[in-house]
Amino acid sequence: MTDLAQAFTMNETSPAVADMDVRRDLRPMPKLKLSTHGLEFHYGRARALHDVQLDVAEKRVTALIGPSGCGKSTLLRVFNRIYALYPGQVARGEVLLDGMDILTPDYPLALLRSKVGMVFQKPVPFPMTIFENVAYGIRHHERLSKADMAVRVESALRQAALWDEVKDKLRQSALGLSGGQQQRLCIARAVALRPEVLLLDEPTSALDPISTSRIEQLIDELKRDFTIVIVTHNMQQAARVSDYTAFMYLGDLVEQDTTETIFSNPSKRQTEDYITGRFG
Amino acid sequence: MNQLHEHIVRSIDEEQRRLVGELLRMGEMAAAQLEAALDVVERRDDKAAERIVANDEAIDVLEHDTSHDVMRLALRGPMARDLRELLAALRIASDIERIGDYAANVAKRSMALNLAPPLPQVRGLVALGAVAGRQLHDVLIAYRDNDADAAERIRARDAELDMQYTSLFRELLTYMMEDARSITACTHLLFMAKNIERIGDHVTNIAENVWFRARGDEALPRRERRDGTAQAG
Repeated sequence: MTDLAQAFTMNETSPAVADMDVRRDLRPMPKLKLSTHGLEFHYGRARALHDVQLDVAEKRVTALIGPSGCGKSTLLRVFNRIYALYPGQVARGEVLLDGMDILTPDYPLALLRSKVGMVFQKPVPFPMTIFENVAYGIRHHERLSKADMAVRVESALRQAALWDEVKDKLRQSALGLSGGQQQRLCIARAVALRPEVLLLDEPTSALDPISTSRIEQLIDELKRDFTIVIVTHNMQQAARVSDYTAFMYLGDLVEQDTTETIFSNPSKRQTEDYITGRFG
Repeated sequence: MNQLHEHIVRSIDEEQRRLVGELLRMGEMAAAQLEAALDVVERRDDKAAERIVANDEAIDVLEHDTSHDVMRLALRGPMARDLRELLAALRIASDIERIGDYAANVAKRSMALNLAPPLPQVRGLVALGAVAGRQLHDVLIAYRDNDADAAERIRARDAELDMQYTSLFRELLTYMMEDARSITACTHLLFMAKNIERIGDHVTNIAENVWFRARGDEALPRRERRDGTAQAG
């Protein structure tokens, strides 16, 4: 083959094509990491989720969008059973993680929390050093030597694209970091525990545009290793970062599909009205 | 078009309506140019032909204006049907501008044609132009009404235009072979016929964009192509 012919041949191992595959690889359909079946949720008497059937693909980003009160954050919180902290909040139905129902009492909460990490809207660093913020959670799960811990903390901070900015001040208080940095620290804290799933609840709502972009870039990188579910009220963000999108309304899952389909030609009028700003 | 809610931000609806209006106006101007061009070919009117050529600039100015409106709408970050609306508008504006160019070309070339005695095939050219004109008129209505089914029918009818073009092409070749003195005039007619056939192709593009605007990436049915001039001779 001549050089020219080679240059034009789509070589599957060439980096340009491989990158494209990671970016929007939706064919063939990746396997399911999480799925809900007939999921109902109540806050006391009030029903917040009704018969929700959501599929979450492995190592992809799934976005949950919908107007205030639609149940997207409620749904997210079911995935790590964080609602269990509050009396009167009840989930019924099935939520399968790798085929096992995490809602049953048999499924150990500690195991679930190690598999499923969460990052919240408001960055909440612990009032400790940057190093300790990351090490704290690890210590609760594993016994590591000082050297191993240092390696683990560095690895987490690198994964969160924060290492270069904090490597010389690991013993300083985390509260001295900027908002965007604090949020990345919270992400580092979450990934340090080597979960399989990352739940992000409006992770950039409190941040400026540049910090937001940094975290969106981070999400692009993280999805190589983690299954990510992100709740966002910013539709442009959902369109930018996610592979799949689910639209929710008043506790119902109205539509879920590839992000490209949802944002270019959704099936349901309700979905289109919401994403084109035709109702609040 | 079934009941669409208005945007919460009403200026979006106003801008969208304005853009559609501009495109329809552009389309009407191009249709008028085509009709006028066919008329001057028949009447062999050089002065009128010059006016048509000069008028083409008005279409270009309108296309420039629509670019600004497209940019303004794009900055709002449109999604779904709004995004498809915008992409379709951009492409349709370009197709209409080209149609205007081809109509002006026909008028311009008629002046060269007028230097030779009248040819019987001019009738065939004018008939071909009338078919293209009807296609253009129909596709603008389909765009105005967001009618994807009408757009599909228009696209399918391009086959008839192609067939008529092929038949005129063959006729002109035969004529040239019989009488070498007619070659110059026939060649001009060939170019003019080709221009009209290209107008038909751009109408097809507009039809495909009307479909896209309404249905997204849903595939159109396969269609037959009947331009056999590449094999003619």
